[in-house]
Amino acid sequence: MRRQIPLFITFFVGTLLILSVFIPPMETLGEDFTLFFDIIAVFAFFLGGGNLVRVHITKLIKRKPDWGFSVVTLVGFAFVLIVGLFKIGNPGDIASSVTAEGSWFQESFNYILNPLQSTMYALLAFFVASASYRAFRAKNREATILLVAAFVILLGRTPFGMALTSWIPESLSIFQIPNLAIWIMNSPNLAGQRAIMIGIGLGVVSMSLRLILGIERTYLGDDRA
Amino acid sequence: MEHFAIWVAAFLTMGIISFLYKDNAWYKLSEAIFVGISAGYWFVTLFWDNIYGKFWVGRGDDAMLYIGAFLGLLMLMRLVPKVGWISRWPLAFIVGATAGFYLINYFSSNVMRQVEDTIMPLLGTDYSATTYDMIGNIVIAVGTFSGLVYFFFSKEHKGVFGGTAKVGIFFLMITFGASFGYTVMSRMSLLIGRLDFLFGDWLGMIK
Amino acid sequence: MSFHIAFLLLSVSLIVPSPSAQDEVADSVAVSDSALVVAAPPTSVIASEHEYDDGEALDLSWVPSIDDQLVGGLVIAYRVYRSTNGGELEMIEELIPGANQFTSGELSSDSSYSYVVAAVTTSGEFASNATAPLSPETEWLNYEKKWLFLIGLLIAGAVMYFIETARKGKKLFVRKIAGLEAIDDAVGRATEMGRSILFIPGIQDMDDVQTLAGLTILGRIAGTIAEYDTKLFMPVSRSLVMTAARETIKASFQTAGRPDKYSDDMVSYVTDEQFGYVAHVDGIMVREKPATVFLLGAFFAESLILAETGNSIGAIQIAGTARPAQLPFFIAACDFTLIGEELFAASAYLSNEPRALGSLKGQDVGKALAMIVIVIGVLAATIASAWQVESMQSIVDTLNSVFSTN
Repeated sequence: MRRQIPLFITFFVGTLLILSVFIPPMETLGEDFTLFFDIIAVFAFFLGGGNLVRVHITKLIKRKPDWGFSVVTLVGFAFVLIVGLFKIGNPGDIASSVTAEGSWFQESFNYILNPLQSTMYALLAFFVASASYRAFRAKNREATILLVAAFVILLGRTPFGMALTSWIPESLSIFQIPNLAIWIMNSPNLAGQRAIMIGIGLGVVSMSLRLILGIERTYLGDDRA
Repeated sequence: MEHFAIWVAAFLTMGIISFLYKDNAWYKLSEAIFVGISAGYWFVTLFWDNIYGKFWVGRGDDAMLYIGAFLGLLMLMRLVPKVGWISRWPLAFIVGATAGFYLINYFSSNVMRQVEDTIMPLLGTDYSATTYDMIGNIVIAVGTFSGLVYFFFSKEHKGVFGGTAKVGIFFLMITFGASFGYTVMSRMSLLIGRLDFLFGDWLGMIK
Repeated sequence: MSFHIAFLLLSVSLIVPSPSAQDEVADSVAVSDSALVVAAPPTSVIASEHEYDDGEALDLSWVPSIDDQLVGGLVIAYRVYRSTNGGELEMIEELIPGANQFTSGELSSDSSYSYVVAAVTTSGEFASNATAPLSPETEWLNYEKKWLFLIGLLIAGAVMYFIETARKGKKLFVRKIAGLEAIDDAVGRATEMGRSILFIPGIQDMDDVQTLAGLTILGRIAGTIAEYDTKLFMPVSRSLVMTAARETIKASFQTAGRPDKYSDDMVSYVTDEQFGYVAHVDGIMVREKPATVFLLGAFFAESLILAETGNSIGAIQIAGTARPAQLPFFIAACDFTLIGEELFAASAYLSNEPRALGSLKGQDVGKALAMIVIVIGVLAATIASAWQVESMQSIVDTLNSVFSTN
């Protein structure tokens, strides 16, 4: 029974959402689901956040290596929760937005979270460079095609590409790099994208069916548990 | 105060960058702050948007909200060992809804729509196409077809079928190369943005 | 922006948009001075049922004012007024010159509605007759989507047919998928080296089908991990994913007969924030040095940060996502990459269970259908446009209407 009920719920809800697309009075079911999901996600945070706290407290109590950093994480977590939920340091009264300019919550975003996010994101520049270098060294045909296409598109987005190939006569203008880049984006790239998208669409249909029919069911855990 | 805040931001920025050299205490400190602050930030935002915003400010009397809250409470049953299994119900609900929602939407937007878009005359309507357009159209049709052959599971990639699949891989690689090339520039500008902060806002070397 | 009828009476034109508006137009024109810009009102205003909806909309159509010309026209806009249950007229929309239709939404099937359309000139408004009161009706089936339903049913039917065929014991051939063949070796390698396995299910929540795909694959891999008794750790960025992943791993360990080896600590929540999560995962990658890294799910910009870090510590990496923009980075930095559809097929393939394998066959029916339609459609369209062949054009039109999703 413990397993039958969840399987039935999955089957029922899945089928209902598919059919709702064809039944006008049920059209908004998809939106309702999003609403449910958003609310469930907040409740679930108690499990996730609770786990975060437990992991770091365990590390602290057992004096595991780097336990000092666990203290930092816990303090940071508690600080934002208190400042944000009780709107401490907020200009104006309790009704003002938690993200109001000048609030402690917003300031910790501006000067702590935001620089951290942007820097982590910016590291990509280095990783793109190292990945390109590796692809460059991989001497197989696929990697070469990938690199050539990447190179043309990259040059095509810079003034460099135009300067490099402006000597090509107008009648063969397609071979000027910016034009070639546009052609690649609009033709072979589009073809590849379509094949991938159609494949994904069918893959999703098949996997979703396996889930709805209960063929795929490990996420529900085990009866004996 | 703002001066101090910029120093904090610069300190954390460099802490993250130091990871490129190797893992070190400065990075670990930045990481610990990042995880703690961001997890809290996320929950606070979720709370004000989804709980306060929907139950108090928004549509407080909507039955749908309470069904959501009920499912959320069932999820929390995990914390009670004896009835923990009940949390599988909301989980089953989410999985069913996600599967159903994606099944029909992806089928419509990824399969039907893409097939429809691929049906077009190779020569352009009324011979309006230039040679390049024509080649482009042929490339799109051939590329889409051979790409699909690559994804076929029921047949070994051998003979003519294998050859077509190879053409398919060729197209996929161009597609990947194109997105790779397209992204590189924007990633570089991200880095320039951070350097601008360090040398401009913090050190005041760039005005 | 609701305009009361009395207010309109006082407005420059002195023209009332009401059932008797026509007469008053004539009157007001008669007394007007020469600067008054007079235009004929729109005619034949018809309100009709909006098809295939939940009784929440009506369609309006009309013949534009004869003074609504592209060049030198007098009409500067059209205003649509609505009266609910015989009440006062309210302006609900202003449309550009040349407009001849409008869908009035957010209605209720319990009320009846009447409409007036007015041509607006610099001097005022010139209103049409009001339409007869009409209530929107609820339709129970959206026939516009019949082809989506039928073709969807065909492909879903094919999937189910092959699932059933396989269940009855018919052997079905599925070709080898390199990335998936490598999984056992990758797990084995970690065991031999005495190092751990890191599994990353993307950064999206349980409401993304790619996360579900990642977890279904986790279910298969966890079985192997349990048998080999290898250490698994899985930091996640969503609380619900944490819960579902724990259930998944626990079930797989149970099935493999090693429930004692399972621990909740295998899966831990980090933070929902994209780069905060990445900062943490990067950190533990270089500290724990897992021998094998799985990146299976929905990835965004972080794909390359994670994959490059994994590469730098010499881990075998198997990645997969359905986000085309991130695939090139996985291909550049990982040993094996599951491209789009392969991600969704992976758990079926790994399960080796006949029913699951059967579903892959069904997918192929879909692909074959798409390929056939593309070949026929492109050929027919080309012949039709090159030699003006009517019959070919009708094939193209039929295919377009069948596959149209609007």
